[in-house]
Amino acid sequence: MSADAPAYRTRTTAVELAVMSAENTSTLQVCRSCGGGAPIDVHFCPKCTKILALGRHGDYFSYFGLRRKLTIDGAELEQRFRTLSRQFHPDYFYNASPVERRASLERSSYLNDAYRTLRHPIARVEYLLQLEGMPAGGNADGGKHVPASLLEEVFALNEELDEIRELRAGGTSPDAWRPRLERARVPIEARRAAHETELQDLAARWDALIDRRADVGERRTVLEALRERMLERNYINNLLAGIERELAA
Amino acid sequence: MARVVGIDLGTTNSLVAYVDQGRPVVIRDKSGEGLVPSIVSIAVDGTAYVGREAQRRLLTEPERTVYSVKRFMGRGIDDVVGEAALLPFRVSGDAGGVVKIGVGEKELTPPEISALVLRELVRRAEEFFATLGEVDPDVSGAVITVPAYFNDAQRTATRDAGRIAGLEVLRIINEPTAASLAYGLDKRHAGLIAVYDFGGGTFDISILLVEDGVFQVLATNGDTHLGGDDIDRIFTQIVLDTLEQNGAVIHRNGAYDAELVQAIRRSVIQAKHDLSERDESDIRVDGFEVTADGRIQRAVGRQYRMALTRAGFERAIAPIIERTLAPCRQALADAGLEPEQIDEVVMVGGSTRIPAVRARVGELFGRTPHTELNPDEVVALGAAVQADILTTGNREMLLLDVTPLSLGIETMGGVTTKIILRNSTIPASGSEMFTTAVDDQTAVDIHVVQGERELVGDNRSLARFKLRGIPPMPAGLPRVQVQFQIDANGILSVTASELRTQVEQTIEVKPSYGLTDDEVERMLVDSFEHAEADFAARLLIEAKNEAESVVTATEKSLRASEFAEVATELAPGEQRRIEQALAGLKHVLTSEDKAAIEQWTQALNDATKHLAELMMNRSIRVALAGKNVDDVR
Repeated sequence: MSADAPAYRTRTTAVELAVMSAENTSTLQVCRSCGGGAPIDVHFCPKCTKILALGRHGDYFSYFGLRRKLTIDGAELEQRFRTLSRQFHPDYFYNASPVERRASLERSSYLNDAYRTLRHPIARVEYLLQLEGMPAGGNADGGKHVPASLLEEVFALNEELDEIRELRAGGTSPDAWRPRLERARVPIEARRAAHETELQDLAARWDALIDRRADVGERRTVLEALRERMLERNYINNLLAGIERELAA
Repeated sequence: MARVVGIDLGTTNSLVAYVDQGRPVVIRDKSGEGLVPSIVSIAVDGTAYVGREAQRRLLTEPERTVYSVKRFMGRGIDDVVGEAALLPFRVSGDAGGVVKIGVGEKELTPPEISALVLRELVRRAEEFFATLGEVDPDVSGAVITVPAYFNDAQRTATRDAGRIAGLEVLRIINEPTAASLAYGLDKRHAGLIAVYDFGGGTFDISILLVEDGVFQVLATNGDTHLGGDDIDRIFTQIVLDTLEQNGAVIHRNGAYDAELVQAIRRSVIQAKHDLSERDESDIRVDGFEVTADGRIQRAVGRQYRMALTRAGFERAIAPIIERTLAPCRQALADAGLEPEQIDEVVMVGGSTRIPAVRARVGELFGRTPHTELNPDEVVALGAAVQADILTTGNREMLLLDVTPLSLGIETMGGVTTKIILRNSTIPASGSEMFTTAVDDQTAVDIHVVQGERELVGDNRSLARFKLRGIPPMPAGLPRVQVQFQIDANGILSVTASELRTQVEQTIEVKPSYGLTDDEVERMLVDSFEHAEADFAARLLIEAKNEAESVVTATEKSLRASEFAEVATELAPGEQRRIEQALAGLKHVLTSEDKAAIEQWTQALNDATKHLAELMMNRSIRVALAGKNVDDVR
């Protein structure tokens, strides 16, 4: 065991460095209190122990000391959030120098933003896609373009909605069209449920790729699939919101 | 070493607390009273009176005395017209500017008036620290609390009030969160906690997750214009209407007789308090009587009484209680929780003394709310704890609060683009990229708004500023980054920069309804010139305060249901002597004669001594009833 350890470590370190340099443009930040250099993902200066200003920094994942994986243990994330809050919070820097106070404000803000994003599985996926340069951006596609895989359902739904609107305009009582509207929702709901499963599967695949440090090509394939699912998901949610509106009207 | 304190700057009452050897303690006056009524009266000679003395002046000099000023903090005249109509003092201001409140011949801003309350609290604390033999009894800084649902302008106005009072404002914190800190001191309270804070003028609900000493607010909601004041107003109006409908003259110069309104309001509050302990009470109006034919008319020395049962009271206030429940449900939904998941419910604010409020809240959450700590004091205690954390480096507890309302900026078509969402943990930051709409545009208007609505016009306008100096470029080419930063006080600052040219502009958002730094500076100087009342005046006030406590205690005893039981044990004529001394003291209380006030206070004390003993004996008998001798020993 002990004989194998050094070789194994060397190899890991080499790969890790490659991953790190792919994720970060630089691995150093500068301490504004003592002028020393510090690795990018530490929060306190190794030399003077002061809190570091949020200059060069990694991403939400690395900020929490996590790898860029989509499965996150909620309880552990919460624990890390609390631990880091206790290190950064402006309450504990009230009598510190202005540089440290500023740093505490910046680090706390970034921590809170990061926690809010990583805590929610969907926000986490969106963030990952953005980080990897493939945003599933809400407005870019605007949800106007119907994803090919949904064409059939969308067509059927729109037809049904048109008929229901006609019935309603004709003064038919809600008792007649409400059940139809409810029924129309069923296949869409089913698609959403299926989607959740697909997203989870893809997330697991992504995490496995990270674990075995797969190459960029493999990662790209999974990311593209993830983005496709996210766009479809937005579209499905819009459809369901549309049905809700009809029901409420 | 100079001291730091926690201050609950309330709509109706304020108080100050400090931490003594790890435990927060409310600072009280000689008569043991911690509450300072948030009432300010400015005499003709410019002397400012605050607290109970100002409360007395509500009756004698209503036009020089103001209260409920917290309702006007950080607001513009257009916001408050409705409310101002119901208050007896002048409220004015330019459109889009700060509200001004008329006090005698002066026009003061709400932060200036609040600063006078803060100075009174600080004075009280410094006097107290001096009695402890402190070498330096000065108060150097304070944590001041605000309703969780206060917007940026209201928070900034509160901070300005502190600065005008010459205080270093260590931190602005939210009232319900402060309360949770006070409750959290004993470690039994962990898990999911709902703090229901129903005070004099505002309502807040906060949902917290407490674990490992970290108090993390998950969601907050509320109504900054809903409180016990609304209850008082309903009943004051009922009494006024009843008097008027029965022919009594209640107007003076075309408006309600201000003195009468104050007297009724005071009596309404008394009846409201009674009904938290008893099933019936009455609202008493001096100087009116019912005639033989059922009409009501003015009559010196007579008293009109309107009976009020608890059931009738509860019926009338049910809609107000109901209005607190929608924010509760919204906060739960925002936190992603069902009511039954809440482990503990904590009650804060004087209005939670009303049994119907407790019952309704208990019903919503399916559990009995906590009422162990005095609901009037718990917020100040928590503020003191926070002041201690900030200045001593005590790391046992940490408050992580949220911003109550979303922040955003106006974009094309008058639409709000949110940059920081409500219920985001603070400090928080956010940024958004914008560009120009026409070719060669060299400046961009940035309009900062707060609120949840789609359209800018429906939200609160916080500030407008211009980012200038953008070099002429075709439309759409400049990249303007607007960065929001909310600090731990919940106060916003905004930076805008054009990234291609590095033109940058940072502004601490000075709210549209706020004061400039220069104005704050000037007010600071002004207040120093006027606020110090001389020593003799101070002694007179103290004598009056003591007299008032004796009056209140006596009146309470005479009204208590137990009184009938002990009355039989009184000597013949004893009750009449008490009533005479009471009337005598009440009469001299309106004067400025310190010697006479002290004399009559003594007289009333002597007259009630026997009664006090009888009441005390009775309560001991009741307390011991059913216990055997061993338990007592």
